[in-house]
Amino acid sequence: MSGASAPKEAPSRAFSRRELTRAAGFRLALGFALAMLGAMVLQFALVYVQMTSLEHSRSDALLRRETALLLAMPTEHMNYVISERSTDDLRLIINAEGVFTSSRERIVGDLKAWPEGLVEDGIPHDVTVQPEEGAPYVLRFIATRMPDGRILVLGRSRHMLGEQKLMLRRASLIAATPVLLFALMAGLWLSHRALSRVKEMHEAVDRIMQGDIHERLPAGRERDDLQRLAGSVNRMLDRLEQLMHDMREVGNDIAHDLRTPLARVRARLDRALTGANANSVEELHKAIGRAIDDLDQSFGIITALLRMAEIDNGRRRDGFAAVDLDDLAGDIIDLYEPIAESEGVVLLRDDGAPQRKGGVVDSGHVWTAARATEQRQDSVSRPLVVHGDRDLLIEVLANLVDNAIKFTKAGGEVRVSVGLWNDHPALSVTDTGPGVAPEEREAVLTRFYRSDKSRHVRGSGLGLSLVSSILRLHNAHVRIEDAQAGRPERGARFIAVFSAPAR
Amino acid sequence: MSESGRTYRPRVLLVEDDGGIAREISEELESRGFDVLAIEVGDQGLERALSGEFDVMVVDRMLPALDGLTMIETLRARDIRIPVLVLSALSAVDDRVSGLKAGGDDYLTKPFAMEELVARIEALLRRPDDTRVTVLRVGPIIMDLIDRTVTRDGREIELLPREFRLLEYLMRRPAQVLTRAMMLEEVWNYRFIPQTNLVDVHIGKLRRKVDGPDEEPMIHSIRGSGFSLRVPDASDE
Repeated sequence: MSGASAPKEAPSRAFSRRELTRAAGFRLALGFALAMLGAMVLQFALVYVQMTSLEHSRSDALLRRETALLLAMPTEHMNYVISERSTDDLRLIINAEGVFTSSRERIVGDLKAWPEGLVEDGIPHDVTVQPEEGAPYVLRFIATRMPDGRILVLGRSRHMLGEQKLMLRRASLIAATPVLLFALMAGLWLSHRALSRVKEMHEAVDRIMQGDIHERLPAGRERDDLQRLAGSVNRMLDRLEQLMHDMREVGNDIAHDLRTPLARVRARLDRALTGANANSVEELHKAIGRAIDDLDQSFGIITALLRMAEIDNGRRRDGFAAVDLDDLAGDIIDLYEPIAESEGVVLLRDDGAPQRKGGVVDSGHVWTAARATEQRQDSVSRPLVVHGDRDLLIEVLANLVDNAIKFTKAGGEVRVSVGLWNDHPALSVTDTGPGVAPEEREAVLTRFYRSDKSRHVRGSGLGLSLVSSILRLHNAHVRIEDAQAGRPERGARFIAVFSAPAR
Repeated sequence: MSESGRTYRPRVLLVEDDGGIAREISEELESRGFDVLAIEVGDQGLERALSGEFDVMVVDRMLPALDGLTMIETLRARDIRIPVLVLSALSAVDDRVSGLKAGGDDYLTKPFAMEELVARIEALLRRPDDTRVTVLRVGPIIMDLIDRTVTRDGREIELLPREFRLLEYLMRRPAQVLTRAMMLEEVWNYRFIPQTNLVDVHIGKLRRKVDGPDEEPMIHSIRGSGFSLRVPDASDE
């Protein structure tokens, strides 16, 4: 039963997704059509209002003009013109006219009585006329008093406006249907186009989630938001792919670095068991001793990796306290001096070391010595204290000094300096070894990197990455420079710069 | 070996849930003259520890039923001062600190060399002499802690401050095997294992000053373990 229901589920889910896209497309199209309808209604309302006010001002202008024309005529002629409606204007434009005495008695014209409420002020007004039979209607009147006291009244009906409005309403209603249909179609088409691109992306994301990390979203030339979004996602995928690749690399490196000593152990034990000297207790002891050394090397790598993971987790900041860099440098020299001596290398404290002319190192960085060496003026009188973990920081220095001694030939020098780097507390270790090529500087701080020059030097290859892990935990970073650029043995200078300002 | 030659067999309580490691430790310690009781569960371990019949305890941090640190805290709360060595699978430095805070006397990270474990157990059994003494004597060597002078058979030995500290550490633990890690921790206060054989170089320098060309050597290298300061006559027992 369960076998039958399982394959059924997949297509139904795909179907529902397709339906969903369709529904989304329809919603988009409907929204588009509604917006179009709204625009139409708005347009209609605006035209309507505009038309009304235009017609009003036109009526007023006509009434005024007609009044002026009539007033310019002699009395007799005006009476005749009005009673006969003999001009075109009176027939076409003016719908009611009359001449009244000063006491508003009709003299001539088709207005039988003085319209109720009209004032003879020469300004157009709307006045409701109550005819003897039929419904009352509104006319626009203008009443003007003549010099001889008589009153000229002209009226204009608003049926023109009414007709125009009716026409507009009809036209709009008739136009609405095709416009809405067009909007719906256009909306459907546009949303289909947009959603089909979303669907493409969806499918691409599905493929990526199924493990095809090389797949990318269709981004085109990033000319619109959707394409730009796809571009951003693609760049994110590039970065993730790179990180995954790096992780795989690290995994391979770890496996390889562990396998090498383990393979040696195996070979050694195998030979001890079956070789010619298998009967010699002394030889067996020797073989076992070497095997243990090799195993210790493997453990050393694992321990270093675990420590780095622990440090990278950043939980250790709880135990931070004030650490005096000056003491740190003193301690490390105390610890490593005999080693340096046995390698024929001079290990010394020299706070002026990273300094060139005028306190400026390389590209404008300023180093201030922590201790006054040779009566330097620009030294820091206060102790240089950072907030950190002494055990970890001494490990940083130990790794740097250890490295420096390893890479420095007999007769060379390793200097440990404490000071301010651009006003930030800093430790530096400078050697007279082969130096680090600029293109290798970033890589030497990553796990397991060993430059070709250092293949012969023993070590887990994790020392410097441990250094950068610890410094990251302290909000500090490592800078690598040439100690004396231009010379074949250019020397390396590792500077640990703390981002917190000197306290 | 001199350890197995002693008359009193110190009793060790081992609380470790990994049967394989427990067996290795037990056998090794038995062969070196200890009596070992191995227990796998925390609360049972605590029960035995409370009996007071052991000289030293070795406790794993992670234990079923009752974890190692809680167990030690309980012991200390009941004023039982048995020396405790804490074992842990992780190198976490924080673990070390919390282990010592809980009342552990020493801390050892897995994997460890058996020699390291044995040396540390020996060190716990033989706590250093009274720190108030002003003059240390080991055979012909006399160290004056106030004048900061050292002589061997009357011959003055000039030492750098760090060499003096190292020799003092050795002289407070005569005939004891001291590992490199122990020395780094106690003399220099460092908690990490350096990539270089630092301690060997320091000991080498000290040895050249202490053991003159015509003198019987007193600073001995113990293969696979570390170093030991021994009185000339007693060394070849």
